[in-house]
Amino acid sequence: MRKPENLILIIGALLLLVIMPLMNAYGTAGSPLHVSDYTINLWGKYLSYALLAISVNLLWGYTGLLSLGQCLFFSLGGYALGMHLMLKIGKLGQFYKAGNNPLELPDFMVFMGKTELPGHWIPFHNFWFAALMVFVVPGMVAFLFGWLAFRSRIKGVYFSILTQALTYAASLLFFQNKFTFGGNNGLTDFKTLLGADLNAADVRRNLYIATVILLFTVLLLVKWLLGTKFGKVQKAIRDSENRVLFSGYATTTFKLFIFVLCAVIAGAAGALYVPQVGIINPSEMTPDKSLEAVVWVAVGGRGTLLGPVYGAIFVNALKSWATTAYPDYWLIILGGLFVLAVLFTPNGMAGLPQQIKDIIAWFKRRAANRHAEAAAATPA
Amino acid sequence: MLRFLLLAVLCWAAPVLAQTMPDSEVRTKLSAAILAEDEAQEELIQTVGATGSPLAAEILGLWRQGSVYLDTTADGDKIPFIKKDGASLRIDTGAAFTPESPTEAETSSKLRKSIRTALDLMEVADPDPKTRASAIQKLGGTQNDEYLPVLKVRLEMETDKKVRKALEAAIATIDLTNEDDAVCIAAIQKLGTLKNLASMDTLKAMITSEEESDAAKAEAQKAVSILESYSRWVNAGGTLFSGISAGSVLLVVALGLAITFGLMGVINMAHGEIMAVGAYTTYFVQNIFGGGLSLSMFGQGLKIPGMNLTGSAYQSYFIWAIPASFLTAALVGIALERGVIRFLYKRPLESLLATWGISLILQQLFKLVVGPNNVSVSSPTYLSGSFIVSDVSLGYNRVFVICFAAAIVFCTWMLLTKTRLGLFIRAVMQNRQMAACMGVRTERVNMLTFGFGSGLAGLGGAFLSQLGNVGPNLGQDYIVDSFMTVVVGGVGNLIGTVCSAIGIGTAAQSLQAVTDPSMGKVLALGSIILFLLWRPGGLFPTRTRSLEG
Amino acid sequence: MIKSYLVKAALTLCVAAATLAPQVRAADTVKVGVLHSLSGTMAISETSLRDVLLFAFDEINKSGGVLGKQIEPVVVDGASNWPLFAEKAKQLLEVDKTAVTFGCWTSVSRKSVLPVYEKNNGLLFYAVQYEGEELSKNIFYTAEAVNQQATPAVDYLLAEGKKKFYLLGSDYVYPQTTNLVLLEYLLSKGVPLANIGGGLSKDSDGKVISAGKYTPFGHTDYQQIVAEIKKFAASGDACVVSTLNGDTNVPFFKEYAAAGLTAEDCPVVSFSISEDEFRGLPADQLVGQLGCWTYFQSIQSPANKKFITNFTDWLKTTEVPGIQKEGRVTCSPMVLSYDGVYLWKAAVEKAKSFDVDKVRTVLESGTISFSGPGGKVTMQKNHHLTKNVYIGETTKDGQFKILKSFNNVVGEPFLKGTFKASDGKPAAAKKKKKG
Repeated sequence: MRKPENLILIIGALLLLVIMPLMNAYGTAGSPLHVSDYTINLWGKYLSYALLAISVNLLWGYTGLLSLGQCLFFSLGGYALGMHLMLKIGKLGQFYKAGNNPLELPDFMVFMGKTELPGHWIPFHNFWFAALMVFVVPGMVAFLFGWLAFRSRIKGVYFSILTQALTYAASLLFFQNKFTFGGNNGLTDFKTLLGADLNAADVRRNLYIATVILLFTVLLLVKWLLGTKFGKVQKAIRDSENRVLFSGYATTTFKLFIFVLCAVIAGAAGALYVPQVGIINPSEMTPDKSLEAVVWVAVGGRGTLLGPVYGAIFVNALKSWATTAYPDYWLIILGGLFVLAVLFTPNGMAGLPQQIKDIIAWFKRRAANRHAEAAAATPA
Repeated sequence: MLRFLLLAVLCWAAPVLAQTMPDSEVRTKLSAAILAEDEAQEELIQTVGATGSPLAAEILGLWRQGSVYLDTTADGDKIPFIKKDGASLRIDTGAAFTPESPTEAETSSKLRKSIRTALDLMEVADPDPKTRASAIQKLGGTQNDEYLPVLKVRLEMETDKKVRKALEAAIATIDLTNEDDAVCIAAIQKLGTLKNLASMDTLKAMITSEEESDAAKAEAQKAVSILESYSRWVNAGGTLFSGISAGSVLLVVALGLAITFGLMGVINMAHGEIMAVGAYTTYFVQNIFGGGLSLSMFGQGLKIPGMNLTGSAYQSYFIWAIPASFLTAALVGIALERGVIRFLYKRPLESLLATWGISLILQQLFKLVVGPNNVSVSSPTYLSGSFIVSDVSLGYNRVFVICFAAAIVFCTWMLLTKTRLGLFIRAVMQNRQMAACMGVRTERVNMLTFGFGSGLAGLGGAFLSQLGNVGPNLGQDYIVDSFMTVVVGGVGNLIGTVCSAIGIGTAAQSLQAVTDPSMGKVLALGSIILFLLWRPGGLFPTRTRSLEG
Repeated sequence: MIKSYLVKAALTLCVAAATLAPQVRAADTVKVGVLHSLSGTMAISETSLRDVLLFAFDEINKSGGVLGKQIEPVVVDGASNWPLFAEKAKQLLEVDKTAVTFGCWTSVSRKSVLPVYEKNNGLLFYAVQYEGEELSKNIFYTAEAVNQQATPAVDYLLAEGKKKFYLLGSDYVYPQTTNLVLLEYLLSKGVPLANIGGGLSKDSDGKVISAGKYTPFGHTDYQQIVAEIKKFAASGDACVVSTLNGDTNVPFFKEYAAAGLTAEDCPVVSFSISEDEFRGLPADQLVGQLGCWTYFQSIQSPANKKFITNFTDWLKTTEVPGIQKEGRVTCSPMVLSYDGVYLWKAAVEKAKSFDVDKVRTVLESGTISFSGPGGKVTMQKNHHLTKNVYIGETTKDGQFKILKSFNNVVGEPFLKGTFKASDGKPAAAKKKKKG
């Protein structure tokens, strides 16, 4: 099992990190060897989703905690970077150009009649502060919630429902216009990141490369973590938390650590996602989105290293294709896929080769049995 | 002015001398009014109204509803007529005739308002005290002193307590515009003692007005403070009532989930869509009772004929829709259980994902079958209107939802505790293997339980069709709330669900009253989350010796 | 033998048709994008716009296309998912290279695709009433600006003698901005602050930053708000100005009717309910409520009659899956989408090119107009339309009866701060002293 995984990792890294960007940068448009800016951008989005899926899988597949609120952390990370990007629009903003925004406030604030920047926005002028907040804000929220939840020994379905309620409440909060995060419109129309034009092809490519690098770093981290004693405890918690508890491990601390780690990974994914898609708004933290992320993991294969990556890419690519090819039926296709995946492939896409092997083996065994039966029957 | 005095006399003599103007004259005037325009029309309407004739009331009422028609003859003459029992009756003669090219007699909101005022004036003498009171209140609200004589005459003969109160308030409200300061101050005091909330804004305006005397201002201030403290009580009462009714809505939508999730442990994310099935069933039943409906399923036209019922036979559609939605939703639920869920009893978290997939499929199916738009379900007349209990208005639909919730909780409780099926259900849910060993057909019990839970969701949907949208997204608005309700109540505990639904409803409405609708909802959810973090088992935790329970 | 031959022949033909057909057509077609939500929460409203756009394309194709080219629609589903809108916009511009896109409904979807259109120098026609305060060189707003909907409606209500205004909306940008503009407008018309209901919120300097009552999306419980309105309206001459968005109107109006409030006591003027949304409302309980749009299905003009007949006929014959054929109505956003297609066609034909810059220059010249179902519309230099505005009241068959019309209203996106509150005494005093 280990060997093909390593091989796939290496080939995948080579393909995504080296070949695709090269084909994007140096291929001539129109030739089959060219990867368009659109594709690079699209894959950048898929891979940020893959990161999110990894965080879901680390919680669900390896620790047995099904969080239906993972998109909250994803969005919080996105908002943290989005706030910085918003402030960097500065003189390019429409109201500044029109001359009625001398303070270079984000446009939506002028729109809503704000005359000065709210205090909590001010430090986000600094990129490094914003970058830090990408990790700190989701981490803190996860820590607080996780501490309360695990202390009360909330698990299983209850944990899922509570995280779902948490993200729902947060989305309602962010939807409010007076909450100073742009309400329903969210943060959008970003112009520059660290002085570089976000709409330029090379900046997009670099963002894509950053996403790939982070993705593989996280994959390696997860791989390493699972090999350690920590990883073993983690899986033990998934399989029987009480036994681990009675063996003298402080399961609460373990779970809390994983929960916070996953929130941080999701936050980083969100921060990479936002500049690539160009918008973050509260509908990203509605319970539906988190459920979708869980479904990617289920389709890709929970409890496997690469499953979530496959799932996120496959489902999103399917969605991209079906929303154009079958705009009226794609929800049925997608919903049907989820049902079938859950019913028939408990180990998802990652487990598919093994499953096929098992089925073939089963047929072979049956054939062999029949053969044997027939052989046994003949002499009699 | 004269015609109001005339009416005043009429009101006083109403029971004896119902008509001073013969019907024929009323008819001529009415038909002239319908054909006239602008101010002349208004004048005529008021004159006809002042006769107090029941015939005038009937036809004006029809006109206001848009049920008066005009026939244009070959010569270009216009004949107003009404339709009664299938016949067309001329308004000017009362005779039946055959119209040539009928059109609806147009009304505008201004015209309807003027008809309304005329009707209000007539309704001051209406036999129904409720109609009287409402008409009187509206007349008072106009602050038009021409109505004073009518109201005063009525006050002398009125015996009904509530109507008397309305009369006094109306007279006082009109008196506020009196130029005599003493009368004005008396009126202010009167309104204060009557606790007439409708006049609060007018009184407030008087406090800052420059035309009022200081004494009047001071009195107005006093009256306003009395009214404000009273209004706080009324608001609190209103909030409590809306809280209970919101809680009942929650209970209706969560009860099905309390069965499927609470008892069976299946996380059914398609619960909302099963409610939508119930709501759509109500829509179908309504249209079958009415004019039928035509669908375009997947682009193919399909016509379902209707029974073309009218009146109370049509209005009774909702009574039939209730069992119909229960059955349809139960069937969908059973299909869902047989097709998908039964494979996932051992994997509850995965049943969550599969059912979510199903909810996506169902949503899109609704769009393809019925159409992406919301469809219209009208409330039967017996569900629109309200009781007023000391200024708190209790809508019939809201009172009905409370009774409805109580009724289905009672039925569910009876089923679970007093029937053999209920016994089996409880047995299977407590210990599947043991029940199977005792000879209970657990598969069948699972199917029926899930069907029952889904049927309850369908009932919830039927009810929601009276309060909100009926469309593909109906279920989405309720799903998180209903899960929270079940968890807060304590999973598997029916009484817990009832308490938590009412509690959450009241808390959410009270929070909304203090803050605003969005913030109220956020705070309510936040406090529920905190509560559950503090007491994970909910209000009534299930006690079990099992470690993994 | 013969059978298998036939099957083979049929298969070959199918394959040939499938591979060749697009290539043959590609030579003399022009790709046009349609970007609407066909699934998710917004599908309720947006699906109708997709339908009317496809109808307009077929109509144009039948009469010879644009510059001799047939329109080839590229329909994509934004799925009520705003990042997906941006992705689909990129696809339309970068992969399909569409000449123009007709699409978006919500403000947030427009905001999310705006940078994409600006970066790729695309062309987007936006047809749904919106808050203004925006002017992108790549977007043409056939939509109603606030002064083509909200302010005419208020003018009408003031003329009807309404003195108290209750502002109610969904909590997003369009209602918030509209209500702020209306607040300024009402104050400038001498309506005192006390007569504007729904509440105000002020920032620390006492400056009003939000006026009116707001409910979240998907709000289902309007008991308290209706009770508040009932109290507000008790003293008479009140009305409600509603910017609730599509879905939440149903629970609001059902509660409104159940509370015994009628259009005679307190009319509601809604800016988001058109004939299409009306299909989901119990029309008989709402007779007399007001609407204000630049088109109503009930307009009696030859152009409109022709439009409705052709559209209905088209619906019967179309084979696009998922188009609802029964009980259809036409409404303002649909007609403005339709107008947009013809305005674009006229501009392309005048520019003799599909090139975005050339088309834009022609559109900005202020000479492109189209006599559509709702009357003549003219594209202005500021990317908005000059058009007629109608006030209508609802009838029990789900239509609007036109009460008043304002001709050739110039669309103005930037309105905030343009109305100055009248100085002097607030409130015409209520007291009627007789002499």
